[in-house]
Amino acid sequence: MAKEWPKPSPKLLEKTHHLMHDGFHQRAFPDTAYDLPEALGDARWTDELIASAWYMAETGECPDHLNYKTGRSGGGFDKLEFKELPADQQLPADAEVDITLELNRRGDDRHKRTIDVPWYGGGMSYGSVSVNVMMSRALNAKKWNTLMSTGEGGYPPQLYECADHVITQVATGYFGVEEKSIQAAPIVEFKYAQGAKPGLGGHLLATKAGEEVAKMRGSVPFVSLFSPFPFHSTYSVEDHMKHLDWIKTVNPTAMMSVKVSTPHDVDMVAVGSYYAGAHIVHLDGGFGGTGAAPEIAKKNIAMPIELAIPKVHKFMQTEGIRDNVTIIASGGVRTADDIAKAIALGADGCVLGTSDLVAMGCTRCSNCEGGPSGRGCPWGLTTTDAELQEWVQQAWGADRLDKYYTALANRLKQILRELGLSSVGELRGRTDLLRYIAGGE
Amino acid sequence: MHANKPGTQTQYHEVIGRPRGDVPKNPEAVVKARKMLTDSLPKIEMNEADAAEGGCGVVGLASEIPIAGRHLFRSLEQMRNRGNGKGGGVAMVGLDPAQFATTQDVLENSYLVAIAWVNDGFRDEVESKYIHPVFDVLHTFDMPVLEDWTSLPALEVCPPAVTCYWVQPTESGIAAMFEESGMNPGDFTDEEAIHSEYVYRNTHKLNVEFYAQDGRADAFVLSHGRDMLILKIVGYAEDVIKYYCLDDFTSHVWIGHHRYPTRGRVTHPGGAHPFGQGIDVALVHNGDFSNYVSVKDYLGQRGMEPLFFTDTEVAALGFDLHHRVYGYPMEYLIESLAPTSELDFVMLPEEKQKIYEAIQKTHIHGSPDGPWFFIIAQGAGKGHHRLIGITDTSMLRPQVFAYQRGEVAIAFCASEKQVIDAVMESLAAEDSRFWRRCDRYWNARGGSYTDGGAFLFDVNKQEDGSFELVMTDKFGGLVDTHPSGDFSIMDAAMTCDVNWPEEGDAVGRFEACVEALQTMDWAAAKTMLSEIHTYSQQVSRSEAVHCLQLLLDRCYATGNLRRSRWLDHVEDALVEILMSSGSAPCSQFVGQKVPGHRPEPESVEQAIVVDARPYPIEGQDSLARELIGLHQCGWRNFHVILCQGHRFIGNGFGMDTDDVRIDVYGSVGDYLGSGNDGMTIHMHGNGQDQIGQIHKRGTTVVHGDVGQCYGYGAKGGKLFIRGNAAGRPMINSVGTPKLVVNGTALDYLAESFMAGDPLEGGGFVIINGIEYDEKGEIHAMETPYPGGNLFSLSSGGAIYVRDPHSRLSASQLNGGDFTDLTPADWAILEPLLVENEAHFGIALAALLTVDGEVKAPEEVYRKIIPLKNKALSVEDAWAAKHD
Repeated sequence: MAKEWPKPSPKLLEKTHHLMHDGFHQRAFPDTAYDLPEALGDARWTDELIASAWYMAETGECPDHLNYKTGRSGGGFDKLEFKELPADQQLPADAEVDITLELNRRGDDRHKRTIDVPWYGGGMSYGSVSVNVMMSRALNAKKWNTLMSTGEGGYPPQLYECADHVITQVATGYFGVEEKSIQAAPIVEFKYAQGAKPGLGGHLLATKAGEEVAKMRGSVPFVSLFSPFPFHSTYSVEDHMKHLDWIKTVNPTAMMSVKVSTPHDVDMVAVGSYYAGAHIVHLDGGFGGTGAAPEIAKKNIAMPIELAIPKVHKFMQTEGIRDNVTIIASGGVRTADDIAKAIALGADGCVLGTSDLVAMGCTRCSNCEGGPSGRGCPWGLTTTDAELQEWVQQAWGADRLDKYYTALANRLKQILRELGLSSVGELRGRTDLLRYIAGGE
Repeated sequence: MHANKPGTQTQYHEVIGRPRGDVPKNPEAVVKARKMLTDSLPKIEMNEADAAEGGCGVVGLASEIPIAGRHLFRSLEQMRNRGNGKGGGVAMVGLDPAQFATTQDVLENSYLVAIAWVNDGFRDEVESKYIHPVFDVLHTFDMPVLEDWTSLPALEVCPPAVTCYWVQPTESGIAAMFEESGMNPGDFTDEEAIHSEYVYRNTHKLNVEFYAQDGRADAFVLSHGRDMLILKIVGYAEDVIKYYCLDDFTSHVWIGHHRYPTRGRVTHPGGAHPFGQGIDVALVHNGDFSNYVSVKDYLGQRGMEPLFFTDTEVAALGFDLHHRVYGYPMEYLIESLAPTSELDFVMLPEEKQKIYEAIQKTHIHGSPDGPWFFIIAQGAGKGHHRLIGITDTSMLRPQVFAYQRGEVAIAFCASEKQVIDAVMESLAAEDSRFWRRCDRYWNARGGSYTDGGAFLFDVNKQEDGSFELVMTDKFGGLVDTHPSGDFSIMDAAMTCDVNWPEEGDAVGRFEACVEALQTMDWAAAKTMLSEIHTYSQQVSRSEAVHCLQLLLDRCYATGNLRRSRWLDHVEDALVEILMSSGSAPCSQFVGQKVPGHRPEPESVEQAIVVDARPYPIEGQDSLARELIGLHQCGWRNFHVILCQGHRFIGNGFGMDTDDVRIDVYGSVGDYLGSGNDGMTIHMHGNGQDQIGQIHKRGTTVVHGDVGQCYGYGAKGGKLFIRGNAAGRPMINSVGTPKLVVNGTALDYLAESFMAGDPLEGGGFVIINGIEYDEKGEIHAMETPYPGGNLFSLSSGGAIYVRDPHSRLSASQLNGGDFTDLTPADWAILEPLLVENEAHFGIALAALLTVDGEVKAPEEVYRKIIPLKNKALSVEDAWAAKHD
């Protein structure tokens, strides 16, 4: 049905490789002939943050010449900073710092998993991104002993080689959900909503739902695919419990993660999820989302994650269940500093989505659907176009993420040492270590 | 079923409430007085977190004879998974005076005020303020309680002691009320209305002082009404029965309710259901309002102040306001809760549209928005008892209605069929007037022009002292609850004179049975079943099982016998034969001896018989997990018998299960056959909710009706339903699933359907829109699809509707379009309808016969295809160009 795209010629690959890998992103380095492009970034994901991510992904280090810590949004993480402690209360630069995170705190007989860094990769579906992007993330997750989520688009067979590091997502459209991938997963994630577009669900245009994507989703090619907003079978908390019971029947050892957006009663939602059997409550705030999420929805519906985290954290403390559940935050977490602030506000860890893409070359141009041609991202990230997706090779993508994670981990450890903390767990809920940055933008 | 048109009869509704038929004289005065009252009392601040509500499980019954509490016990226990032990309650209407050491006269002529003593030591104070000075107390009764509450393991908090006061307002009290409130007797229709308002105001004051103020929660009124009582605890509902020793307490109407509050810490039962804020009313609710604050404000503007901060409380207050203060007839009251909209509104008579529009405009802010299912028990004294079930307009919560009428009649509304069956089983075990299977089970269609999404069961005292059950729909239309057929069991006869075929398979034996049945009495019919049993022992167990399956599954005339009772016996005979394979296995059947017993199969054909009863409904040791274990041991054929709400059957078998067949009997739970990747599943009876979710391949056949969300996200395979589907079937299906519904669906069929082009192998749904009469003959329904949303927002696939008279209109589609049936369409429909005939005996020829004439397929079936979405046409054009 669909046209067989010719493989790109070696010449073209060479040219684009140069452009992609040595050209444009080279602008992140100070000693090139180019300045940062004027149109790059926005107040939240600033040009400096984007370029910093590229720099980290190339070098594994944080850049000296760019602000890699905060954006210029004038709110949230950008208006918070850590207090400076006297030097004698800080830990020495070579002190061992533990940044591992145990995900199962319920004390049940299910899968136990300690990840090496307090973050993992969020769901981006096959169809919204290519197999190469998914595999880059999965290979890196394996290397870093952390995880990444499939998103709602099925489980490409290649992923099975990293199965122990892949979270299977079950979302409202049930695309590509089958027992095999549920049974292979260490964690099954129920996605109730996305912070970037709560109440809206997902939509994959017909042009991006090509043959391979359709096969994976159990659909037929070139039919537009909608994920509705709600689970139509889940209109109450006892339905939700039944839902988790279903997964427990299919896979009796998997941990359960429940991904919700941040409505005003997010604390109730989180507590309800816990009592229904969730190990991980994943809060997705309103500042995430790629160009595929409608502009009108992003930032305008869900509560900012910086407000949602302490609300949930405190409520769970009053309920006396905080230590039995893992709270993971996402939706606008861009940097190691953001991760540390989220944890200080009360989360246990974070989920990265957009940051992973930026590390792999995303410019935040918001052209994820690829304009009228519908082929997808010009940088080969959010596309399944046979030609475009070749621009991100698995080994290359995994290597960039590996270096990026190296830089993030080192920066996080540095923050902890400066705060005199020997483990990331000690940072949780330490709002006393945070300071509001008055004035400014 | 829906034979009664809107507005035909309303007199049945008004037996309770406004028997005199008068419109309240001056509701404004009552509202104004209430505002003064709430203004004079301390303001109660709401803690936002308290307002949150969770899910629930509910069962309600109304019976012509008093029913003892113990019969609800098993039912509630089986429904624990819909609660979490943080709130349970029961309501009783139509009490037995002797059990409360009083007289019928006292019961009928006074208000029963039941007070829960959450904390000890306030009884004297409460009595001296709110009982003795304001009421003439005719009788007082302390509810008996279990000596040691810790003997009930699920209880975390000791339930409150409860005292019942049968009271009448004092004349001086009434005078004082008029004095302080500015109301006068002329504002009310009669003395009864004055008394009810008096009781209401007194209760509110008591609850403010002893419950709500400063969050003290020392004591509160559980219920206040005629001949009715509410009891509730922090725990499961069946523990209410145990703790308050209700095993032998009887009443005509019962409600049992499990609450599942979202929060974990609950220290007192103030938030548990039922809510008794309305005079004479107990209301329970399953669901969640998204407009709690709006409803609360709406009530506030009318002088009513919630004190318990759950959405159920405001529902109870709203019901009371519309019923007692505004004096709405039941029909308008239901309309104010569940507004009629879309196509259903258009289908109403013009006169009704005007009234409904006025109700909606006036009360929309007090109308609960979101998923909910209300069960309401209503008393009025004087031998009128009532049970009401109302579903929300979108039917977002599970709901099943049922009744059985033998020598006595009983009716139900509940969250699941299995909890109804559990009550019936308990009753049938004790009282030969009942049998286990109800005559009818059905779902209400929320906010509809057909039944209004609500049914009322009235139990009214007759002149001879006996009671009669009367059922009406929202519109007051009388619904016939008198199925034909003899239900009086007699002993088996010596012979039954069936001409068993010499040779012949199960189908031949089945046909012989049906033929013989037409003239049989119960004695002969029972003998016929025992002859089949003998045949199973002496000739072929599998042929006997198959013959009984057909007798259980097919629709046929049952001669002089009541169909439901006959099927009860057939299922019994079938289960007995299958059970016998435990002690006497054969090459075809082996029975599990004890739970966890996993013998080796002798061959791949051999079937294992699993008794569901000992297994938990879900969880690690559940029936579903046991079946997975047996599959891993090599078993491929399963007969799962005596299900009692067991969930997830056939889930977790993994991929490529083409050689598996599962036969399921009894009251199955949710998620049957979810994730099917090749197996054949036969449900011998009605199914529950979420059947065939993400169904990928294989065949799922339900010999009955199915519940909500059937085939959600299905990817492929073949699905057959003999009867109807409830709301939201086949939502979000993609790929190649093919479904035949022989009845209809309530609404939202195939919303966001995204299958491929049926002519290229893609998925589709066939709706036949037929029903059976008592003779087992099929007839076209009035319309093949009554809902306002068919194939909404679909982007692929098709719907084929048997609609020879073009009853469906474009207004029912939202993104779809009618088109002609072509020979290419028929080429894909025909084989499926042939298979449908094999499963259910519904002849393809009969489907093509219209008004006695055989028609061409294109004259009988219409096709609905998705309308191209404008917003997507650019992309689609691009995709087409690159094909």
